[in-house]
Amino acid sequence: MSEGILLFVEQRDGALNRTSFEALVAAQQIAAATGDKISAVVLGQGIGAVAGEAAEKKIDVVYTVEDDKLSEYTPDGYVGALKQVVEKLDPRYVIFSHTYRVRDFAPRLAAALGKAFVTDCIGCRVEGNDVVFTRQIFQGKIATDVRATDQPPIFASFQAGAYRADKAEAGTAEVKPLEVNLSDVVIRSKPEEKFQEAKQAVDLTQAPLIVSVGRGIKNQENIAIVQELATALGAEIAASRPICDNEWLPMDRQIGSSGQTVAPKLYLAVGISGAIQHVVGMKNSQTIVAINKDPEAPIFDIADYGIVGDLFEVVPALTAEVKKAKGE
Amino acid sequence: MNIVVCLKQVPKKDSILRIAPDQKWIDERDLSYEMSEADAYALEEALRQKEKHGGEVIVLSLGPERVKQSIKEALAKGADRAIHLNDPVFEQATDAPAIAKALAAALKNETFDLIFTGLQSDDYGYAQVGLIVAELLGVSSATIVMEVQPEGQEVRVKRELESGWFQWVKVPMPALLTIQSGINQLRYATLKGIMAAKKKEIRDVKAADLGLTAEDMKPVQTIERAYLPQKSKQTEMLEGKPAEVAAKLVEKLRFDARVI
Amino acid sequence: MTIERDTLEMDVLLVGAGPANLSCALHLTNLINAHNGRAKAAGRKPLDEINIAVIEKAAEIGAHQLSGAVLDPVSLRELVPDFEKHGQAPLEAPVGSEHVYFLTKRGRVELPVLPPPLRNHGNYVVSLNKLIRWLGDKCEAAGVNIFPEFPGADVLYEGDKVIGVRTGDKGIDKNGNAKPNFEPGVDIVAKVTVLGEGVRGSLTKQLISRLKLDVASDPQVFSVGIKELWEMPDNRFPAGSVIHTLGWPLDSHTFGGSWIYGMRDRIINLGLAVGLDYRDPRLDPHHEFQKFKTHPFIADLLKGGKLIRYGAKAMPVGGWYTIPQLAADGVMIVGDSGALLNGERLKGIHTAIRSGMLAAETILEALVAEDYSRNVLGRYEARLKESHVGKELYKARNFHQAFDRGRNFGLLTAGISMMTGGRLPRRLKIKAGHQHMEKRDGFQGDRYDGLKYDDKLTFAKLTDVYYSSTHHDEDQPAHLKVVDFNICVERCTVEYGNPCQNFCPASVYEMIEEKGARRLQINFSNCVHCKTCDIMDPYQIINWVTPEGGGGPNYRNM
Repeated sequence: MSEGILLFVEQRDGALNRTSFEALVAAQQIAAATGDKISAVVLGQGIGAVAGEAAEKKIDVVYTVEDDKLSEYTPDGYVGALKQVVEKLDPRYVIFSHTYRVRDFAPRLAAALGKAFVTDCIGCRVEGNDVVFTRQIFQGKIATDVRATDQPPIFASFQAGAYRADKAEAGTAEVKPLEVNLSDVVIRSKPEEKFQEAKQAVDLTQAPLIVSVGRGIKNQENIAIVQELATALGAEIAASRPICDNEWLPMDRQIGSSGQTVAPKLYLAVGISGAIQHVVGMKNSQTIVAINKDPEAPIFDIADYGIVGDLFEVVPALTAEVKKAKGE
Repeated sequence: MNIVVCLKQVPKKDSILRIAPDQKWIDERDLSYEMSEADAYALEEALRQKEKHGGEVIVLSLGPERVKQSIKEALAKGADRAIHLNDPVFEQATDAPAIAKALAAALKNETFDLIFTGLQSDDYGYAQVGLIVAELLGVSSATIVMEVQPEGQEVRVKRELESGWFQWVKVPMPALLTIQSGINQLRYATLKGIMAAKKKEIRDVKAADLGLTAEDMKPVQTIERAYLPQKSKQTEMLEGKPAEVAAKLVEKLRFDARVI
Repeated sequence: MTIERDTLEMDVLLVGAGPANLSCALHLTNLINAHNGRAKAAGRKPLDEINIAVIEKAAEIGAHQLSGAVLDPVSLRELVPDFEKHGQAPLEAPVGSEHVYFLTKRGRVELPVLPPPLRNHGNYVVSLNKLIRWLGDKCEAAGVNIFPEFPGADVLYEGDKVIGVRTGDKGIDKNGNAKPNFEPGVDIVAKVTVLGEGVRGSLTKQLISRLKLDVASDPQVFSVGIKELWEMPDNRFPAGSVIHTLGWPLDSHTFGGSWIYGMRDRIINLGLAVGLDYRDPRLDPHHEFQKFKTHPFIADLLKGGKLIRYGAKAMPVGGWYTIPQLAADGVMIVGDSGALLNGERLKGIHTAIRSGMLAAETILEALVAEDYSRNVLGRYEARLKESHVGKELYKARNFHQAFDRGRNFGLLTAGISMMTGGRLPRRLKIKAGHQHMEKRDGFQGDRYDGLKYDDKLTFAKLTDVYYSSTHHDEDQPAHLKVVDFNICVERCTVEYGNPCQNFCPASVYEMIEEKGARRLQINFSNCVHCKTCDIMDPYQIINWVTPEGGGGPNYRNM
C-alpha cells in the first residue's frame, strides 16, 4: 500500500535549487490534509550540505543517493536511480519543482513506471482521497483543475513561483543514505561543461525598480521611450524573451524562465502580455504595474495596477508625470 | 539522415478563448488553428538538417481532419511525407501518456535517426509527450535544444539550462530532441512547395492499424474543470486619458508603493 | 537588387477568395466538366486540363470576409442547387421577424410598412466567413488550387494586356531589406485573370487607373460598416430576427443605418453602415457605432451580453452608374471590386456570386475559342446587364445618388424612385465621397463629448481592434503608403484636423507630438483591411497596398 509523499530535491554542483522548497510547500500542504509523511531525496555526489539544508525543513527523512553515475546530471542516471527509489519507498505522491532539469528526465521516469505525471502545476488541494491539481493551459489564458485517475504513485511538478519558498515549514529531518544499484544503468548522454553565453553585466536580481518591455513595443527604435521612462524612474530596463531574441536588448536583460528571476519593489511591464514563461520570472515582485492594449492580457491577472491603453501614449505621459513628481 | 517531426495543431495564438458549456475544455466552435509554435521550429530545424545531411523528413501528427491543414503546410515547406493519426478513437487521447503511446506505436515500423518535437505544446503544455515517446521506443533524449550537430552515430546538441546557462551534450542516435522556440528563422511555404505538396503522401492511420483500442487511449489524468484564471491579486485598473492615468499611477507609486 | 522570381503558369488566376471568385472557380470547374462530357459524347476533343488558382491575402480562406449578412439565395441556388438541403451550407437561419425603425435620440418609430428593398422574407441570415469557408472547401474538392497567404502585389501586363499577377514578397524588414528567410513573390501567369479582391481592390485600383476603365462611369461611392458580434445569455433575439434602423446617431448629412441580426447559438450580430461621403471631418464611424449602442432600445437588447468579435469593412454603394468597365484584354473584375453591390438592399453577396458565375461562363467561351481578348471577355459585361443582378442594380440606379444631397432629399427621392422603378426626372450627378468632407473650421468642439467607454456596452477603438484578432508581422514595411507626409502635417492638420485618426476604425493613424513637432505615425499592424483610409482621405494621398501574406484580421464566424 503506497503511502507518503516523496519530494525531489534538486541540486547543481552542490547547491540546492530554491524552487525545491517551493515544491515542498505544496507537499506540506498536501501532507497537512492527508496526514502523509514527507520524505525527500537528493541525488548526486558530495551532497551532504544540500541534504543538511533540506533536513532543516519539516520533512520526515531526507534520503541521499550517491553513485558515480550520478556525479553529473544525466537523464539516464536520474531515471535509473529514482526508479529504484520510488519502487523502494512506494509513495502516493512524487513531487517536483518544474525546472528545466526535471523536464529533462521526470517524464521518462513516470513513463518508465507507467504513471501519470501532472506537470507545471500552480496549485493543489486535497479533495476526499485525491489531490486536485491546478494547472494552466493555453499559456496561462485558461486554468484547469486536474485529477490523476491512475494508481499511485502520482507524479506532479510545480511551476517556479507557484509557492513561496520562505513559507516552507521548518523542522528537523533524519538524513539517511539510500542504496541503489546502477550497475545495469547505461548512461547514454555525454554532457560537456556548462557555460554562459552573455556575460551577466547587469544583475537585475539586485535592481529595486525594473521597467520591462515586451512585444507590444513593435520595433527596436520604440524602446527609447521605455528607456526614457526607466531613466526617469531610476529603474533598470529589462525585457521579455521576444525582445531579446530579436536582439533589441541584450540577452542579460531577459526576465523569465530562460532569463533571470527577479522580485523588485516595482516591476512595470510595458507591452508584455504575460506568457507563463515571463511571469515565472517576475511574479513575486512587490508591486506590479501593467500597461497593455489587450484588456484580456494575462499580465493583468497578476498586476496591482493595470492600464489598458496604447503604450505609445501612456508611456511618454508617464515619463513626464514621473519627472514632474521628482521635481525635474 | 531521417528525421521524424511530431507536429501538433493548436488554436492560433491570437485566439479569443472561451470556456465550453460543460466547463471542461474551451469552446472549439469559433477557432482557427496553426502549428504549435515550438513544433514549427522543430520542423524548420529538421528541414535544415535534411538540407545539410540529406535524408527524409517525416511529419507525424495526431488529431482530427482539420490537422491536415498543418500537415500540408509542413509538406509545402519541404517535408517529404506525413503520417496522420486520424481516428475518433484518438480523440480521447487528451493526456501525454495516451498521445505518446499512439505516436510511439506509429513509429515502431519507421526507420529514423532523429525525432524532433517542440519543447511543449501551446495548448496543454505538458512538456512530456516527446520524452514518453523516447522512453517507449527506448531511444536517448535531450530537451530544450538550441542547436543540433549530428556527428557520426551521435548527435551533439546545445541544451538551454536556466538563468542564461547552456550545455553541450552528446547522445547516441536514434535520439529524440525537444526543440526550443526561436532557434532558427522559419521559412515561408512557397507556391511551388504548395503545389508539390499535393503529390506527397499523407498516410491516414487508424487506431486499429496500430493495434490500439479505446482502452489504450484512456487518459490517466482528466480535466475536471476549465475556467478563466482567478486573479491572484486585486488589480486596480486605472482609466482615463493618457495624462490622467499617468498622474493616477504616479500618485499610487509615490504614496502606496512608495517607489518614487 | 535584382530578384530572381519563379513563374507559375495557370490557365485562370483569381485574385481574392471571396464570394465572387470562389463562385467563379466552382462554376467554371462545373462548366468545364459539362463541356468535356458533351465533347466526349459528340466525339470532339475536350479541353485540356484547365488549371485554376485562387490567391488570397488572408491566413486562411474566409478570414477577411465581413458582411452583415442577409443572403438572397437566388444566385447560390443555381451554383449549388441543393445548398439549403440537409444542412449542407452553413446558414444561420431563414429570416423570421423583420422590423425597420427610425431612431431619435431616445425613442424609435417603427416604419409601418417595410420598404420593399428591405424586405427579406425568403432570405437567410448568414455568416459570410462560414459561407466562404464552406465554398472554399467545395472549390478545393473540385480541384481548384487555393493559396491563402499570397496577396497580389502587382498586375503583370504585356502592353495593355493583362497576363497575370505578381504575388507579394515575404520576409522584407521594416526598412525594405530582405530578411534571411526572404521569399520573393512569384509571377503567376494566366490566360485570364479575374480580380475579385473585394471593395477598393488594390490591384483593381491599379488596373482601372492604367486602363482608364472608369472614364464612362461616376466616381465610386462607399460606406463603411462597423460590426460587432455579441454572445447573449439567453435567446432573446432568435436566429433569423432582423432589425434595420435609420436616423440617430447619424446626422442628416450622413448616409447610413444599422443592422441587427440574430445568429445561431444566442449570438447577436449588429453593425452600423456609415456613408463615406459625410461632411464633418471629426466624424468617426467607430464612435458613431458605439454611440448607437447607447440608444435605450439597443442598450436594452444587449444587456447582459458579451462582446466577442469586432470588424470593419467598406462597401461599394454607388451602384449602377459607378460600375467601371469590367473586362479588358486578359482580365475581368467581379463582385465588390466592380461595385456590383446593391446599396438600396444593402446586399452584395448574391450579386457577387452571380458576377463570378457569369465571368465563369465567359471564361469557358474564351477557353474554347482560345481568345482571351476583350472581344470575348467583354461578353461578361453584357451577360451581367441582362441578368437579374443587372436588372436589380439598374432599378436601384438612383438610390445612393439621391442621398448624395443629404438624407431628407435622399429619402424623398428614394421613395419616388422606388415607385417609378428607378426612374427620376434626370440623372443625378455625384462626386467622390471624400470631396464631401468640409474643412474643420465649421465644426467646433468634441463631436463625441459625453461618449464613455464602459467596457461593457461601449469599447474604445483599441479594445475593439483586439476583438478583431488582427495580426501583422511587425517587421515589414507599412502597407499604408502615404505619398507625402508634409501634407499631413502642414495642410491637413490646419484644413481638416487629420481626419485619418477619426475615420480609421482600427487606430492605425496617429498624429504624434514630439519635441514640438507633429508627425504621422502609422500603426499598420492594427489595420483590419477595411480600405476606408484609401477611400476617404481628403487629399487621396493614402494608398492601401497588400501587406505580407497572412496579415490582417481573423473574422472567424463574422
